[in-house]
Amino acid sequence: MADIFNSMIDALSDLLGQGIYVLPEIILMVAAVLSPLLYFITKKGTASAVLTFVLMAVSAVVTCIMMHTVTYGTAFGLFEFDAFSSLMMLLFLAVGGLTVFISQGHVETTKHKGEYYALIAGAVAAMMFVASATNLVAIFVGVEVVSIFSYALVALKKNDPRSSEAAVKYLIIGALSSALTLYGMSMIYGVTGSLDLYGPDGIVAQVSVMAGNWPFIIGCVGMIAGYGFKISAVPFHSWSPDVYEGASTPVSGFLATGSKKMGFAVILKIFLVMFVAMETGVLSEDFQMVFAILAAITMTVGNVVAISQTNIKRMLAYSSIAQAGYILIVLAVMSQYAVVGGLFHMFTHVVMKGGAFVVVAALITAGLGERISDYNGLAKRAPFAAAAMMLFLFSLAGIPPLAGFTSKFILFSGALATPAGGVDLTWLWLVLVAVLNSAISLYYYARVVKAMYVEKPQTEERLPIGRAFTVAIALCVIGVIVLGVYPNVLLDLCSTAADALFALV
Amino acid sequence: MDVPILSLLVLLPLIGAVLTLFMGGARTKYAKVVAAVFTAAALVLSLYVMFMPSGDLANLTENYTWIESAGIKMSIIFGIDGLSILMVFLTALLMFLVVVFSWNEEDRPNYFHALLLAMEVGLMGVYMAQDYFLFYIMWEVTLIPMFFLISWYGGPRRHYSAIKFFIYTHVASLIMLIGIFGLVFGTSGGDFAFAAVANAGGLSEAMQIFLFGLLFFGFAVKMPVPPFHTWLPDAHVEAPTAGSVLLAGVMLKMGSYGIIRVCLDADIFALAMPVWQPVMIGLGIFAMVYGVYACIAQNDLKKMVAYSSISHMGMVLVGMGCMSEIGIEFAIFQMFAHGLISAALFMVCGLAGHNFGTRDMRLLGGMAGKAPRFALFMMIAFMASLGLPGLMGFIAEFGLLYGLWEYLASVDLMPIILLGLLYMLLTAGYYIWAMQKTLFGKLTDKIDLEHAHDIGNIECVVLAVLAVLIALFGILPGLATDYIMPFVSSIVNAGGLLI
Repeated sequence: MADIFNSMIDALSDLLGQGIYVLPEIILMVAAVLSPLLYFITKKGTASAVLTFVLMAVSAVVTCIMMHTVTYGTAFGLFEFDAFSSLMMLLFLAVGGLTVFISQGHVETTKHKGEYYALIAGAVAAMMFVASATNLVAIFVGVEVVSIFSYALVALKKNDPRSSEAAVKYLIIGALSSALTLYGMSMIYGVTGSLDLYGPDGIVAQVSVMAGNWPFIIGCVGMIAGYGFKISAVPFHSWSPDVYEGASTPVSGFLATGSKKMGFAVILKIFLVMFVAMETGVLSEDFQMVFAILAAITMTVGNVVAISQTNIKRMLAYSSIAQAGYILIVLAVMSQYAVVGGLFHMFTHVVMKGGAFVVVAALITAGLGERISDYNGLAKRAPFAAAAMMLFLFSLAGIPPLAGFTSKFILFSGALATPAGGVDLTWLWLVLVAVLNSAISLYYYARVVKAMYVEKPQTEERLPIGRAFTVAIALCVIGVIVLGVYPNVLLDLCSTAADALFALV
Repeated sequence: MDVPILSLLVLLPLIGAVLTLFMGGARTKYAKVVAAVFTAAALVLSLYVMFMPSGDLANLTENYTWIESAGIKMSIIFGIDGLSILMVFLTALLMFLVVVFSWNEEDRPNYFHALLLAMEVGLMGVYMAQDYFLFYIMWEVTLIPMFFLISWYGGPRRHYSAIKFFIYTHVASLIMLIGIFGLVFGTSGGDFAFAAVANAGGLSEAMQIFLFGLLFFGFAVKMPVPPFHTWLPDAHVEAPTAGSVLLAGVMLKMGSYGIIRVCLDADIFALAMPVWQPVMIGLGIFAMVYGVYACIAQNDLKKMVAYSSISHMGMVLVGMGCMSEIGIEFAIFQMFAHGLISAALFMVCGLAGHNFGTRDMRLLGGMAGKAPRFALFMMIAFMASLGLPGLMGFIAEFGLLYGLWEYLASVDLMPIILLGLLYMLLTAGYYIWAMQKTLFGKLTDKIDLEHAHDIGNIECVVLAVLAVLIALFGILPGLATDYIMPFVSSIVNAGGLLI
């Protein structure tokens, strides 16, 4: 088998040159171009959905093959295929695949089917470019492409004023964050004279002499703020509940699980590597503290505000903010083991939060409202969806043996473990905050479970769940259980990815 | 051993839980049969293990690597020793009795039994796990079934109580989890097996004291030790009888089990133990006395019994705090005794509520004539709990007070023993008072006597089994101490105990 793959890859690399290392992205760009064409020819949304989904699957297979054959390579001095970028690509492909899979049967999807799938495919391609980019401009352009596609995705529900409002809000805040990022990048370019992150003349190679260099620090702060918007870290989070509420549910799920992870990929690629390179410098400790405080505030605000939400999509939005706070712990701790936990948590977040959004989308299609009180007695009206939702919510709260527990277990323990295998109590306060937040979150998750299982339904009428939704929910349920009980394979991948990330230092 | 007996003890209830869960529609009425079969099988297995030669217990250990990646290692290790076996037997026994006791449950019996069996999975797992990761998972697995047992089958304030129970004990578990992180990474550096942690040891004194505190907090909330007990009266009062029996009978023991298993492990906490000893004794005595005073103030029989659990578990804490051979021995014996006795107590209280329509002592009176079987079992259970010689409770309390005496003599604080005597006196007081108000005197006219009836045959058999066991272990405590002694002396030989 391996020989066949190797010769395939050889043939392709003769054809594409360095382009082989961005082959998965290229496949998705093809999807982005072909799917609207196909729609205009056939006038069938299903055709372009199938095409996009198939090409995403092909791209994922190619990525997997490349992970085992070429494992490493750089393209055009801008992109780098390694264990980290390929793992993130798989994550984006999984998110994109899930979104495409459920969109066709979803009631809120617009008439503009061709554009819709093209936007998703294009956004995923750009996310994958970002994951493999090694140059600040390449990262910036990739993130901008994702942002612009996302604005359009949010606005696609044209008849709903909430959707338009959300899109405008998203656009304005997104523009602000882009401006901040670009300003930060220009400062850093001015100081270091480089836009490449790695390499002998790159930015990372120069950070050790940057202590006390104010333009550099301002540049970093600008970029942290800019990408803080993308991951909806508090205080840059205010857009996300409105956007998630206004957008059609598959798009909300796509944004919560996909574009947020892209923000984390960027932050890991730029800041983690940069701060680890600073080693024991005073500056890196300051930035660690910045991220620790960001993490603590983000998870606390997310969880506390989630308690008072009555709309399930807004509640999930705030819970996403909180989950971002958990992942930010990685940036405060900056150990390899914590990075493994952070990466693993990103994956489990995709299945549990993605799964929750799929359930919400399925129920909206079946005619149920978005308020939590609409979920009363759901266990009688849609037993499978209710049971799955309960699993997703308990997993988000970190109840064993579900995926969210295992990933939080590793993430939180990573904050206390030192690289040599001892205990370091520096971040004990952060872990305490995180753990108490987990407990707070249990309250609002349990409230939804209570509504579904304990309260009386308003009507006994059964809610029909479409076939595509059932399959998608079942896949997420399997993911939540398997990643919780047998995380070995994914953990190994995350471990290799973390090694690759630290090798960049 | 080719048959993985210990895994079976966890898997049998798990299979049963899945089976009963899907017995909807017309098959619902057979759920109780399935549950009875699976709990009986687990009971038979646990008895088989119990009557094996004690040297063979160690051979039962099962060890499978589970997660090994990124520098950490979690394993599924089940092991059994003198402490575990009693708890496993208690779990299996009470689970079977509860299923039989709830034979007439008609509200969604398939879910009811699935929840009970899911509880058994978690409890068995906690009492046999030899790996911190597995231990913690099993510890949390018990929460969700209990949450649903209370919120589906409980009393009028069930929603509030269920959420309070869930979140309160979850917070404590999370604090304990941080302790586990520190413990594992500070010793073995990522291998979560009990043995690996104990063998590595080597925590600094400050770290020992700190981690002991975190773990102790997690366990103490479960026991529960005042002032962290407020979830218990709510949960108990609102839970259905089956839930209360399991809560008091086996779930509270998870806390004291954890303390003996983890906190009193001298390989890990040799330096922290003397520091925490006065705290444990102080909190234990406070729990005893506080529980007793709270009992006196209650009018609801079930609430009274719930508070009596607090004071009895306080005695267990005192015994463990003595850190002497006799203290730990009788702490374990008290755990076992309280498991059986509190099961009987909660069944009796549940029956009072069910058969008489109220558990309020102010409304009851003279029930002995109306319901003689009820009166008999109520008297047996209450007498056992107040420490009547010849029954289990007496042996436990006698031993524990002796342990406390020894400790107080060694620290020159003899007068405190008076608090122990006060506890015994008042315990006897409130139980006898409660019996007098409920059973004797003039027949009440404040309840609907038309519908008040004596307990049925099934409940009678279940209570009789408990009564026989309570008397049996009271007369022949050696049946239990034969398991406890080797376990305690193994910790003593490890150099763990102070006196």
